[in-house]
Amino acid sequence: MSSRRSSRGSAAISEEEINELISKLQSLLPSARGRRGGSGSQAASTTKLLKETCSYIKSLHREVDDLSDRLSDLMAGMDHNSPGAEIIRSLLR
Amino acid sequence: MKGPNASASTKPFKRAFLKNLLLSLQDCSRATPFDAMSLHDRKRAVKSSADVAMAAARGGGARWPKAILPHASAATTACNKAQSCRRIVRRCFCHKGRGARRRVVVAATGSDVARRLVKRRTTALRKVIPGGDAMDELSLLREAMDYVVHLRAQVDVLRRVSEAVQKRSCDCDSLRDASPYLVQSGEELVEHDFVLFFESSVRKL
Repeated sequence: MSSRRSSRGSAAISEEEINELISKLQSLLPSARGRRGGSGSQAASTTKLLKETCSYIKSLHREVDDLSDRLSDLMAGMDHNSPGAEIIRSLLR
Repeated sequence: MKGPNASASTKPFKRAFLKNLLLSLQDCSRATPFDAMSLHDRKRAVKSSADVAMAAARGGGARWPKAILPHASAATTACNKAQSCRRIVRRCFCHKGRGARRRVVVAATGSDVARRLVKRRTTALRKVIPGGDAMDELSLLREAMDYVVHLRAQVDVLRRVSEAVQKRSCDCDSLRDASPYLVQSGEELVEHDFVLFFESSVRKL
């Protein structure tokens, strides 16, 4: 497959660059950690990779939401005599 | 959780994020004390603070922060960033819902990679990355990587903050007895150091 120059005149992106980006992205995903130092084959199709990235980001979002909820509960529910209140009081001053 | 790029280089980001987060929360609470807020408002305030703090801490090196902070210039000093952070949290807090994830609707540019990453494959990904709609497929990949790295850092800091506050709320002795956090990804923020850092950050604000 030849890499055609885009009609907009922007620099042609080579296949290697794409592959590199894809494998970098792949190594960030949780599924990659089990096969570190593995074949390095791009057995996962691009579609699968994109789907996995998508669901990973969504799960990270959920984690952020849960932790924010937890933090917001902690901030509201502090006992005024506890050491934890000191942190929060100085935070909220 | 080792990644190829950068467990080490997210440390400055984490510190900036923590500082921004504390500033934002402080600012929210000045408007209304946390225990006087409704559950819903409180949760929304904390979430907005976390999103805005994350975007401000990331700065100009990527596009997704700009989608979260449309009104802030990325090239401000740390001090200004904190101030913009406060203003924006106030704005976000006043608007309904998680406005921070508002999508920019702009036509995507074509590119050479279109035939490998056809639009329909990237639709779902565009929805989860802030500003994703406006990007070409190649930028989308790069932004996805950057965003994932920083989301993980955000999760890490939020978790440590929650646990530090929670531990302090319990018996003080438990802090001494509890075994330190396992060092993750080669970073040196073990629990004790983190609590000290956390408290000194709070004092410096």
